[in-house]
Parts: sequence; C-alpha cells; structure tokens
Amino acid sequence: MAVSSNTSPVQSPWLLGAKDALPLLGGYIPVAISFGLISVQAGFSALATVLISTLIYAGASQFLFIAMVASGAPLWLVVLMTLLINARHVVYGPNLAPYLPQSRYWPWLMHGLTDQIFALAHSRLPKLAAKDRLGWYTAAALVAWFSWIAGTALGAIAGAQITQRWPLLGEVMPFALPALFLVLLAPRFTSTVWSLTLGCTIAVAMLLKILGISNGAIPLAALAGMAMFYLLQARANAKTKNGAIADGE
Amino acid sequence: MVNEVWLAMAVCAIGTFLMRVIPMLWMKRHLIRQQVAATEASMPVWLTVLAPTMIAAMYGVSLVPANQSFSAWLATAIGILTTLLVWRRTRSLGWPVCAGVLMFGVVEVVAVLIAGN
Repeated sequence: MAVSSNTSPVQSPWLLGAKDALPLLGGYIPVAISFGLISVQAGFSALATVLISTLIYAGASQFLFIAMVASGAPLWLVVLMTLLINARHVVYGPNLAPYLPQSRYWPWLMHGLTDQIFALAHSRLPKLAAKDRLGWYTAAALVAWFSWIAGTALGAIAGAQITQRWPLLGEVMPFALPALFLVLLAPRFTSTVWSLTLGCTIAVAMLLKILGISNGAIPLAALAGMAMFYLLQARANAKTKNGAIADGE
Repeated sequence: MVNEVWLAMAVCAIGTFLMRVIPMLWMKRHLIRQQVAATEASMPVWLTVLAPTMIAAMYGVSLVPANQSFSAWLATAIGILTTLLVWRRTRSLGWPVCAGVLMFGVVEVVAVLIAGN
C-alpha cells in the first residue's frame, strides 16, 4: 500500500483506515495483555480492568493508575498523576484540527486520539480527500481501540497462560511501534534543520528513557527538539541578516 | 472495586477525554474565526513544530528495549535498519513494519538459541 496511492477513489476510506491501523496491533495487543494481567494481579476484577482500558484508554497512565491504587496512594494523587501523564494529549487535537472537515462526530471520536493514532493521522489525513477523512479516522481509531480492549480482556482472563506459553511473542510484537513511528517520521527528514531537530529529539527521548524517566520522556524530549528547532532557525536568520549587511556594505 | 476508586477512574477518564477534545475544538474555532476575518487560516508555528517532535519523542522512547541486553539492542538496530531499507524501496506503511518486526524477531530467536547452547 503506497503512501502516494492513498487518495485512490476505488479504495474505501474505512478499509484504508483499518488497514493503516493494523501495524498498531503488534504494539497494542501485547501491551494490553500485560496490562490486563498486571491489573488482575493487583486486585482489580476483569470487568474493572476492561472498563479502565475502555474509558481511560491511555497506556502508560493506566499502568500508573492501577499501581498507585494497589499501593494505597491517596486517590486525589492517583487522579492528578494520571491526568499529568496524559497532559501531552492536549497538543494532538489542535494539530489535527486543520484536516478535520465539519462533522458533529469529531468531538466523540477524539476519545480514540492516542499517541499512535495521532502520529498516524498527522501523516495520513493531509494526503486524503476531505470527504474521506472522517471514515479513515473512525476506522483507524476503532481498530486500535477494540484491539486495546480485546488485548486487555485476554490478559485479564488468560494473561498468565499466554505469557508462559509464548514468552518471545510479547517481546517481539511491540517492535511494531518503533517501526511504525520510523515509517511516519522518515519523510520528515527534509532539511538540515528538521534532521537535526528530529535527531536531537530522538536522542533526548532515548536518554531519558534509559535514565528511567519514562513518563516525562515524551514531553521533555519534544520540548528539547523545539528548542533545537528555534535555535537553528535563529542561527539561520542571523546568518541571512549578516549576509545582507555585508552585501549592503 | 470500592466506590471511591470507581469515582477516581471516572474522573481520570473524563479528564483525559476533555484533554483530547477541548484543544481540538478551540483550534477549530480559531481557524474558523480567521477564515471569517478573511485572514489566512494558520496555526501557531510552535504547534506545527511540536507535532513532529512529539512523534520523534515517541519513536525515541519506543526504541529503547524493555530488556536492555546487547542482543536486544542488536535486534533493535537490525530491525530499524530493515524497516528503513524496506520503506525506502516501497514507500509504504505496512511492509516496512512487517519486515522490521520479522527481522527483530529473527535476531531475538537466534540470540536465545545461541544463549541456550
């Protein structure tokens, strides 16, 4: 499925959205199985575990939620920390807004706006005709959401057996996420400024993750990347200005 | 689950949903207002820079293997290289991901077999 062929009128946008979301399953299902298993082991019922995945639907914060509740942390702190981790979502919607045609369904569909769906939609929506965007997004978001819910249910009911039987599967399948992010990111290395900005962001994110700052790594690395972008832009502007002054002399 | 925990979960769910939807609605109104005022509808520059850097940050975080052994890093490097090569050839989404995961898995299995001997 070539990127350039995505505006093909013969392919239903729903089908295209579902197909585009398929690589996410490799990352979502193993992590969701782990969440289901850990949640049940922490004392939550299978129903409560599935409801957490259905309603909160934000991976890292769900793990934190169950870990903090299980450890007896004050509930106001649990809520605060969960919302803090999810605060990065506030920048996703505005970035997609220019590509969303008028529809009363968009606010409800934003429930499906995870990190991965945002990355996918930010690359795909601009390439689609306006009339196809609602169908594409709905299908992609639903495939991802249902896979997360199904994975959680599977983990809550049979997680221990699955991880015992296929231990390598849980290690291999999540590699779909970095592979997917790479494919979405590769076309953005279009200039020296962008290559350095994105390279710096990736390096900072890896460093923070290695240092154990998992939850803050994404927003902090993104801010470091932004700082790099503005620094490079300022240098380029200063060079242009100096060149113009030298020419004037 | 006791009632207080259900309530905490509901607050987290509603809060997360609002963080996803309200900024989108705000930006849509902002763009419509600009269109009505007959000015060029545009987003703040910082926001357009933040989007790719957020994706790059997610990529960086997801690159670090859960088990940071030499074989896991090697599998990651070979998997990423494979993904990139297949992407350069096909410029598609699904095939590079499939090839990357497959190659990552092969290296992991080989590492397990070598460690077992």
